[in-house]
Amino acid sequence: MTSRVGGWLQGKTIKKAGANSSNHTRSSTPQQVQSTSTTVFGGGVKDASGRVTEYFSMDDQCPVCKSDRYLNPKLRLLVSSCYHKMCESCIDRLFTLGPAPCPICNKILRKLAFTPQTFEDLGVEKEVAVRRRIAKEFNKRRDDFPDLRSYNDYLEEVEDITFNLINEINVPETEARINRYRAENAILIELNIQREEAYAQQLREQEDAERREREFRAQELRREEEEEREEREKGKREIIDKLETSSKDAAKVVAKSRAIALKRTQARFASASQLTSSSKLLRSRAAQSTNIPDVPHVPLQDNYYAYEDRFVMRPGGYNDFLSEAVRKDREGIMRGGGYMVEEAWERALRSSVAALDLPPLSGLPQSPSQLDQGGDVIMAS
Amino acid sequence: MDAVEKANAARQQQWIKDRKVGEGTYAVVYQGREATTGRKVAVKKIKVGQFKDGLDMSAIREVKYLRELKHQNVIELLDVFSSKTNLNLVLEFLDSDLEVIIKDRTLVFLPADIKSWMAMTFRGLEFCHRNWILHRDLKPNNLLIASDGQLKIADFGLARDFADPGYKMTCQVITRWYRPPELLFGCRYYSTAVDIWSVGCIFAELMLRIPYLPGESDMDQLKTIFRALGTPTEDDWPGHAKLPDYVPVGQFPKPPLRDLFTAASADTLNLLSKCLVYEPRKRITAKDALSHAYFFALPYPSHPSKLPKCSTVMNKPLDEIDANVEVASDPGAKATSKSLKRKLASPTEAKARSIARRLDFSKAPPSSP
Repeated sequence: MTSRVGGWLQGKTIKKAGANSSNHTRSSTPQQVQSTSTTVFGGGVKDASGRVTEYFSMDDQCPVCKSDRYLNPKLRLLVSSCYHKMCESCIDRLFTLGPAPCPICNKILRKLAFTPQTFEDLGVEKEVAVRRRIAKEFNKRRDDFPDLRSYNDYLEEVEDITFNLINEINVPETEARINRYRAENAILIELNIQREEAYAQQLREQEDAERREREFRAQELRREEEEEREEREKGKREIIDKLETSSKDAAKVVAKSRAIALKRTQARFASASQLTSSSKLLRSRAAQSTNIPDVPHVPLQDNYYAYEDRFVMRPGGYNDFLSEAVRKDREGIMRGGGYMVEEAWERALRSSVAALDLPPLSGLPQSPSQLDQGGDVIMAS
Repeated sequence: MDAVEKANAARQQQWIKDRKVGEGTYAVVYQGREATTGRKVAVKKIKVGQFKDGLDMSAIREVKYLRELKHQNVIELLDVFSSKTNLNLVLEFLDSDLEVIIKDRTLVFLPADIKSWMAMTFRGLEFCHRNWILHRDLKPNNLLIASDGQLKIADFGLARDFADPGYKMTCQVITRWYRPPELLFGCRYYSTAVDIWSVGCIFAELMLRIPYLPGESDMDQLKTIFRALGTPTEDDWPGHAKLPDYVPVGQFPKPPLRDLFTAASADTLNLLSKCLVYEPRKRITAKDALSHAYFFALPYPSHPSKLPKCSTVMNKPLDEIDANVEVASDPGAKATSKSLKRKLASPTEAKARSIARRLDFSKAPPSSP
């Protein structure tokens, strides 16, 4: 709805029957909202594909005429510019004769300023509308600023204005601020709009190119299949012809023509694989920016075992009585379970020498209690 | 307020709980974040008050061992604090686990992906074993996957330090399908080889996409193992007939692994068979496994960021932080680990653990269990 300037009566009015086919503002959800009005209501929050998905609930009730979905299954609520809901028939009744006050807040409204509802919460509806409007003009980017600080200040100001508009704080003053900004930055705003458009155009072109390539591939595939089928048919006919005309051994004739057919298919496969590999390349190129190469395996990623052991195990083992029970039964339950007393000795020795390579703490006052702890070796687990 | 309380309160303020993501008998898990940086964390609140015995055993184990371990492939315990009567563990936040990924039929695993996961598992496990800690509950569900693809070993609720002379260890650990035969035979003295068996089962599961040895009971588990790998002889596994709960289960021939893993390379099957050797002493160690030819052969292991990820957003991402938190998808396996935990809380081992072990062999032992 771009031409709202001419007045509220210039809105498109179309016949009810044809409304659904040409109307883009209708939601495509299964619970389609049917319009009973002759007016097409534009606006609303559009998604990426340019459609408006309307909010729909079984509990809808028009706050003006109290009609609900039970009484009127075709009930459709629209939102006014002052963010009040009312049903289409109320809108028709109240506003067909020209601008009239809102029955809820008395603000003067026009019929064409009603929009479909997308969000359940009208606060969100309003915020989205305000942010859209603000983003259209406050479209500076990071590279328009000399440093991060000023960019952040700018963002802060934008947020401030947005907040004021949403919550209706100092509206006249805020509007004046926006006007001032617009006057000061007219050129830059225009430039940024152009840049956005160029970027969108680029994206569209890229998508187009990809689509064309896909279509081409599909076509190529169909053509090949067709060729293959024809060739097979021809081969069969040839064999029959030869068998009819020649006096050679039948088996030999069949085998020869089979071999020729095989050679042909192989040739075709080779060219086909070339084709697919090039398309594969294309696809992989798109993903290349995120592609990280695999690296060969590195067993351990630290140098724990690089140090020499500072101990040597006694070859005959140790005669400690803690492990006496286990050592007595070396070939019994211990053997079957995989327990090795050597591991216990190794752990004890390793733990006791583990700190030898560490330089002593310096700069700390030596307290007697620390020394005391040092003497008593407690196994670290 | 004394100094300890003050320090605790300061710690508590560093972490913000956002929403509850799972609850079990012993713990409630919240998703949260660090107040200063906004980093996502998981806060596991352990209910203390309602148990007669005091703090849940698995919580003590978890704090005790995770506090010591810091490695790329082991879940990080960021902080511990108390609130009222509850103990809170602040853990790294991880989005999914290997079980979910294995079960997601829309994902395709390349041999390189499996290699990468195995390498990360072995690295994490090697780090635990190097620090004398047995995990004792390895299963796909406890291997969590970070958002950057790194695999991290989690749930140290059944972990234990090993290589201390003379202490019996319980054999009622490890979820049944991943439990090695020596534990099924009731062995009380075992070693790092138990974890390797579990990793072997996980390795096979990654290739098959279904659990490799799903036994229905402990007895059936032995039968399932022997059916898959043949009944061990005294040569295969010396001393197994002397294990406490040894029972002859029946004679099964040894079918070649190749029959089941038809597409696997020779290196793959070699490493798998070395993880599933009957004799624990001959089972490969985590450190040796990392140097196995399988890992050096082409294709190179996938870069973690390229590994398959779960497409659907998990609504209960923290269930696997601890099997205690019950939102399980697999009732069989879950029930096992829960019953294990209940058994664990009481036996003699708990008493023995509470005494500080000393290195000095010349002194008398503090007590013998």
